[in-house]
Amino acid sequence: MWHSTRHRILRRLHLRESWVIFFVLGNVMLNFPFLKIFNQPSTLFGFPLLYLYFTVGWAISIGVIYLFASSVEPEPGDQQTEEQAPP
Amino acid sequence: MTLNILHVTAIAAAYTGLLFLVAWYARRRFEQGRSLVNNPYVYSLSIAVYCTSWTFYGSVGKAATSGIDFLMIYLGPSLVAFSWFFVLRRIIRISKENNVSSIADFISLRYGSSQLLGSLITLIAVLGIMPYIALQIKAVVTSFALVSGVTERTITLPGADSSVILPTGLTLAVMLSIFGVIFGARRLPSTERHEGLIAAVAFESVVKLVSLIGVGVFVTWYLFDGFEDILFRFHTQYPLLFERLFTLNTTQGNDVIPSSTMLFLSMGAIILLPRQFHVLVIENADLRHISKAMWLFPTYLFLINLFIMPIALGGILQSGSTTGADYFVISVPLAAGNESMALLAFLGGLSAAAGMVMVESVAISTMLLNNLFMPVIVRITPKQWFPLLLINLKRVAIFLVVFLGYFYYRAVGDSFMLVNMGLISFLAAMQFLPALLGGLYWSKGNKIGAISGMALGFIIWCYTLLIPSLYAGAPDSPIMRDGLFGQALLKPTALFGLTGMDMWSHALFWSMLFNVGAYLVCSLLISQSDLEKEQVRRFIGKFETERRQVKSAAKRLSKPVTIPQFIGLMGKFIGPEEASQAMTTYLKGRMIDEEVMVPEFELPAMKRFVERTLAASVGAAAAGAIMDSYLSDMGSRMESVYDIFSTVRASLDQSREALYVRLKASEIINRTLDLQTIMDELLQLLLKEFRLDVALIQIRTSSDVPLSVQSYQGCDRRPINPEHWYLESDPYIKMAMIDQTTHFVNDIKNLQAIIDLSKTSSEGFVSFAHIPIYREGEESLGVLSVYSKSIIGLFTEEFVGLLTSLTGQLAQAARLASEMQAKERERREKEQALLANARVKRDMEIAEQIQLSLLPAAPPVLFGIELAGRCYPAAHVGGDYYDFFKRDDHTIDLLIADVSGHSVGAALIMAEVRTLLRAHSSRAVSPSSILGVLNSQLYEDLTRAELFITMFYARYSAATGRLSYANAGHNKPLIHRQGEQSCIELDAEGLILGIKPSMIFEERSINLQQGDTLLFYTDGIPEATNRTGELLGTGQVCQHLTLQSTLPVDTIADSFFELVKEYSQSTTLQDDVSMVVMKIVA
Repeated sequence: MWHSTRHRILRRLHLRESWVIFFVLGNVMLNFPFLKIFNQPSTLFGFPLLYLYFTVGWAISIGVIYLFASSVEPEPGDQQTEEQAPP
Repeated sequence: MTLNILHVTAIAAAYTGLLFLVAWYARRRFEQGRSLVNNPYVYSLSIAVYCTSWTFYGSVGKAATSGIDFLMIYLGPSLVAFSWFFVLRRIIRISKENNVSSIADFISLRYGSSQLLGSLITLIAVLGIMPYIALQIKAVVTSFALVSGVTERTITLPGADSSVILPTGLTLAVMLSIFGVIFGARRLPSTERHEGLIAAVAFESVVKLVSLIGVGVFVTWYLFDGFEDILFRFHTQYPLLFERLFTLNTTQGNDVIPSSTMLFLSMGAIILLPRQFHVLVIENADLRHISKAMWLFPTYLFLINLFIMPIALGGILQSGSTTGADYFVISVPLAAGNESMALLAFLGGLSAAAGMVMVESVAISTMLLNNLFMPVIVRITPKQWFPLLLINLKRVAIFLVVFLGYFYYRAVGDSFMLVNMGLISFLAAMQFLPALLGGLYWSKGNKIGAISGMALGFIIWCYTLLIPSLYAGAPDSPIMRDGLFGQALLKPTALFGLTGMDMWSHALFWSMLFNVGAYLVCSLLISQSDLEKEQVRRFIGKFETERRQVKSAAKRLSKPVTIPQFIGLMGKFIGPEEASQAMTTYLKGRMIDEEVMVPEFELPAMKRFVERTLAASVGAAAAGAIMDSYLSDMGSRMESVYDIFSTVRASLDQSREALYVRLKASEIINRTLDLQTIMDELLQLLLKEFRLDVALIQIRTSSDVPLSVQSYQGCDRRPINPEHWYLESDPYIKMAMIDQTTHFVNDIKNLQAIIDLSKTSSEGFVSFAHIPIYREGEESLGVLSVYSKSIIGLFTEEFVGLLTSLTGQLAQAARLASEMQAKERERREKEQALLANARVKRDMEIAEQIQLSLLPAAPPVLFGIELAGRCYPAAHVGGDYYDFFKRDDHTIDLLIADVSGHSVGAALIMAEVRTLLRAHSSRAVSPSSILGVLNSQLYEDLTRAELFITMFYARYSAATGRLSYANAGHNKPLIHRQGEQSCIELDAEGLILGIKPSMIFEERSINLQQGDTLLFYTDGIPEATNRTGELLGTGQVCQHLTLQSTLPVDTIADSFFELVKEYSQSTTLQDDVSMVVMKIVA
């Protein structure tokens, strides 16, 4: 099930437009509007808000790039499951 | 263990040795074909050369002083990595195709291989990278001092008396330069991938990461109790600082650089810094690596920055202040007593610095060599020792770059924090951005725009950032305070009155404004050159077909260059052996035979190939300059090919024009079968459409017959004689006929040495072509020759193709015409034969008619006898004749004759006989004398006509009952007497008429009785043949006569006819059947 969801997501990502969207989104999230929201001296779980925002956001963005890159070059593991799909 | 200089130096040296080992091993693997470097992980690690000692030390320092915004430097590249799949791939593809060796090469290539632009970029790179290298030197020197416990900047070697003082920085600079030379300047071609270098860089990226994470782990979990612990403690101890560090400062000021500036600068730097371009593009081994690198590299950045904040906080907690925060990575472990950790950190920092300097110096020295040194060298004619000179210049350039950094360090080093120094370099690299992005995505971006934008941006960078940095130690100097020439508006840090910004954002704003502005304005106002337009096509990948645009069609070399000459040129730069090797490979790929002269159409492509090969060693701009100067030395240059259609028709669509001409030609050919008309009109079409001056067609009817001019159109109409100028081209014509390919000369000047064309050129012709006329698989029929007096380079591949197809159609038409002629001939011959046949038939019919008209209509009546005469002519006209002459009431002459031959001539002879007989019949002469007279009178005519006559002449007197007769070779008549079984034959001696000029004929006589039946006949009766070939024979005739004798004469005569018919069993007679039947009744 995980594979099929992933496959679906991958297929949606395989658009030239999608990367433009992510790029712009990333820019926006690192600039004035969003930054102002998170630019508070408060803490969450003991971690400063902005620090958490950057760290977690960065990790997520790397994950998105990873998905995007895999959508461009489908992995062999993916294809195998396709062939072995139960009748 | 106490660290001292010796320890540290030794360990550093050991580490260096390790690097060499890695590099050497990687090279070996590469040469064996099992490359270590050719995989996406190494690629991503090599990109991590972005993290220099700035990352190592400077980040901590910045984190400790201004807080979390240090992260922007790494978030930028992470964000940009998104775009690599499209942007980077395109850049790499174009670079590989064109043997691009640096970012200067790439950008200048797009703008028409502009050398000026390349030099400008190189200059900006060299000056811009100074602060960066300076910061590396500073970082290593300081960290070295910390780790080895030496506080001065000089080293005294122990064991020497008067201690030798070595400035650490200088030593370091020298060592780094040597590093760079060894790893990056071993061989000349700059586009070769340096496997060893990349392996070393990847290795130390790993060392960096491990080292920083090691220190981070140490600080977080050893000195403290984890992230929460540090945060909690810091929060309690320095709450205000905590707040400040963990929020972005939105106020602007002199020292506070806004996060957006840093973000923007780092986004550009990741690809625009020369070393980054080098590892991303030039050293890329495989386009597929990009997709992995897109997320591997951000992951690396993420990991390496994970512990920066804890280290910074820990450092502050430990030392109580932020001084020396840049070096917390070393000082914190040292203070905690863990020297090995400190050493590890030092190694990491050294690693980072070494990696950066190595790659950067290699990249920039390549640019220096190709863009600043080469243009000077190119003016000198290439000599044998050039390769050696070039490689050493490159090594000198590496030293130069490093030492520039060193001097900047000496001048400025103490005034700035590491990060801020680095940002100065970032901004310099930023000047490339408009030209690069515009070049990739904006087709109108042009050279002037790029140069002016970059120049302006550079000047502003110098003025607002570089110079102030040099004056940073003296902020009160006149320029800094009052501006240039005392103008407040020109104050370097507050240009045009823009105050309140930090130096970097201020410089960013102004430089980008002027850069982008100039680029846009100049690109929009000024149009591009042809070469640029072609580059635009290659870069942007769309083919623009604007109506106004002159088509940059293929070019041609005005004077041909031979293969050995090209090889010689290449050899001067890459060595003679490599040159011929490269050429051979190229020729094989294009399937050109080396021995044969290069076809003219291949020359431009070959020139481009040679240029590309040269570019691999000296850069694209220099290669272009070398090629241009070489060609002009040879007296040749690239010329636009003449567009044959554009001057004739309004429309520029070439294929449509070609179609039009072909259509018209087809019309001409199909309109008529007359080959002459076709040739004339076709030549007229060519003359008119293509502005030729003379066109002529020569044809030969068969291979042993020489060519003859069939059609000649154009000026200089002159009788075709052996003196005619076109005969000078005979060798070409002969060649074209034999090998069935077009032979053309685009510029008659190039030929003077080979063949004598004095008459042709004195007539004013400058180019000509001879196209053979032939059908596939057959021999050539002839040659079409066209001449032009005004256009050089007229015969392009397309034009020749068009002419060839026209001659193909012409050959087809000629073939058709000759086939039609042959058919016509055949038809006429058949007609003739038919006519002849008909004529013959008519002749025969005439003869038949004449013959029939000669015969008597009805037999005369004589008392006592019954007469009947019959002549049944055969299909072929015979020459039978019988006649009766009544002399008086009781005497009658009978005769039967047969003329040989079946013709009008025979019939006419028979008419002559009749006339003669009538003439003589009035005299009372005997049958024999009549025959004799006939013979002598007819002898001449008969001989001349080669005919002869057989005749039987008889005279019957009813009074006496006596029949006298003479025979000239005729069938003996038969008499049937009542009561007798056999017939009586009447025989008399005599030859046939016409043999001898005079003859005596025997005369006999016989008495006839009542009831006698006489039969005179010709050979048609006895010689009737039946199916088996048997003749009827006189016996049968006699028998039949006997049987029929009682019947009336007409019946008898008819019955003989029936007899013959029955016997021969056919309805057509082979010979005339003629007879006279006489019955004596009283």
